[in-house]
Amino acid sequence: MDLVVALAINGLIWGLIIALIALGLSIIFGLLDIINLAHGDFFMVGTVLAWFVVQSTGNFWLALLLVPIMGLLFGALIQRVVIVPIQSAAALTIVATFGLSIMLQEGVRATFGAAPKRLLPPIEATVPLFGIEYEVYRIFAAAVSLACLIGFFVFLHRTKLGTWMRAVRHDRETATALGIPVGRVYTITFAVGFAMAALGGVVAAPITTVDFRTGVDILPFCFMAVIIGGLGNLQGTAAAAVLLAFMEGVITAFADPVVARITSLCLMSAVLLLRPQGIFAGATA
Amino acid sequence: MSAGGIAGGREAGARRVEAVIGVLGGLLVLFFAIAPFVLPVLTNPFWVSIAAEIMIWSLLAASVNLLFGYTGLLSFGQALYFGFGMYGVAIGVSALGLGFWSAFAFGIVVSVAMAVVAGALAVRLTWHYFAIITVVFSLIFYFLALTLKPLTGGDDGLAFSLPPMFRFGETEIALTNQTVQYYFIFLVVAACFLLMAVILRSPFGRALVAIRENDVRAELVGINVYVMRLASFVVAGFFAGIAGALFAFFGRYASASYMFYHVSGEAVVWAIVGGTGTLLGPVIGAGLLIIIREELSLYWDHYLLLVGAIVILTVIFAPKGIAGLVYDLVERMVGGPRTPGAAAERVPDAQREPAE
Repeated sequence: MDLVVALAINGLIWGLIIALIALGLSIIFGLLDIINLAHGDFFMVGTVLAWFVVQSTGNFWLALLLVPIMGLLFGALIQRVVIVPIQSAAALTIVATFGLSIMLQEGVRATFGAAPKRLLPPIEATVPLFGIEYEVYRIFAAAVSLACLIGFFVFLHRTKLGTWMRAVRHDRETATALGIPVGRVYTITFAVGFAMAALGGVVAAPITTVDFRTGVDILPFCFMAVIIGGLGNLQGTAAAAVLLAFMEGVITAFADPVVARITSLCLMSAVLLLRPQGIFAGATA
Repeated sequence: MSAGGIAGGREAGARRVEAVIGVLGGLLVLFFAIAPFVLPVLTNPFWVSIAAEIMIWSLLAASVNLLFGYTGLLSFGQALYFGFGMYGVAIGVSALGLGFWSAFAFGIVVSVAMAVVAGALAVRLTWHYFAIITVVFSLIFYFLALTLKPLTGGDDGLAFSLPPMFRFGETEIALTNQTVQYYFIFLVVAACFLLMAVILRSPFGRALVAIRENDVRAELVGINVYVMRLASFVVAGFFAGIAGALFAFFGRYASASYMFYHVSGEAVVWAIVGGTGTLLGPVIGAGLLIIIREELSLYWDHYLLLVGAIVILTVIFAPKGIAGLVYDLVERMVGGPRTPGAAAERVPDAQREPAE
């Protein structure tokens, strides 16, 4: 029973981190119409940058502050250089982001190295939770993710930039006519998407390993959250991420983790075929 | 389209362009036909087996090309049918004790069957959703293959020993002979490309292009879009399955890792870099990138940086790929009077922004 509780809590916490990353994928998908196959690698770059910052300064909190800013800059740069020239050829953006994914993975392998490394949690204490000793850092990671999720929704609904982002997604022509700088909104959206994945990377780095391949595992999971939650339904994405990770955590307690993954994928196929608007559509409309 | 006095000149120009492209394509085929005699003299016998590998992978890239270049559906899951062809052969030989030809047939049948089932569901979706569901299907079976270790060998793979192709009394003909193996692959791949050329010229092929250009209009002129897309998907699965079966014979093993989405992605990359919507573009793309892999990786461990850059640069500057560049070059040299906007007409609908 302890194992089930531990895996369920792990799933819940992991789900909150994934929700953060998947939300980044979802805004890029919903606003820019791009299937971003490099999104998992944006997360991976976040973990690696966190590792570099911690190595050079010894301060994890600095990484938590700096890496999302680096993510914003990288994201803006990539959007300007790679995405802008092909924005009109939408199918090709999948191919371009696949190329980007190859370059990011190989770039990290060339600089950081091929061997996975571990980052120690900055908080080492444990607390009793439902009868098990649980790491405080994991609870902290969940709290940070949750705060960022709430912060993002506040940003989207309470700031001018957030309103612009929603307006451009809703109706690009009208937004342009109203004087919203659509091009800049696109760049910022992509940059914010990268930054959220990178932030997820920093938060997750002490829990998972720092490795140039981690993005490959994260990517399908983020897509599952986006699809099951409903394309463009941001609250749905966040909820689906938490639900999926929780479900996989519970299944993992009884069966092979691969079985958990197959279950989620089958669920995703069913949603794609039967309810392409996502399982929460209608509830939030 | 404008009809005018220069139309006749343009038609003659177009025929000249077709002729030059035909000659260039013929040279490419000729190269593969004589490679086992030429390559060992010019460089090193090792390149003969690379040439064989290029032919197999270009067949997988061709299956992507049939779907994306001619039907307007971007599949990111062709590795699934490749994997089924591969496992069909490996399991057929090692577990079911099949002979060479029946194992080959078994591999093709299981991959086509998988394509029928997956396609019947997948082609109901288009655009983003189609790309995603093809990946999802391939991932499901990738993970299944990982778990079903007794049947598939999981990540380690499933090795088998080659059964002979023919047996005349004491003498056997088998793929263990390098030359036999090369020409077997050459003949099968050449037959597949020939079949693809025939399909593309047939009313079925025309219908696919019509769907790529505008599926609503195609539906209105009486084409059953669903059935045509499904047929295209199944034919693409057939080609991918043959490629997988050939690769199983070539490597004498099958492995779950070949069903991962990176293999599908590579096939898409080969097709795009080579040139989608052209018959031999996938051969050029697969050839170029495999040569880069084999040659550059000796000197530079991080050659994939270059591969990623090539992919991005192709998509930005030459979305029609190398074959498209060659086509434009030939057209400029022998094509006669050019029509402004002619190039734009050839960009398939699927590559433009989706209509909401």
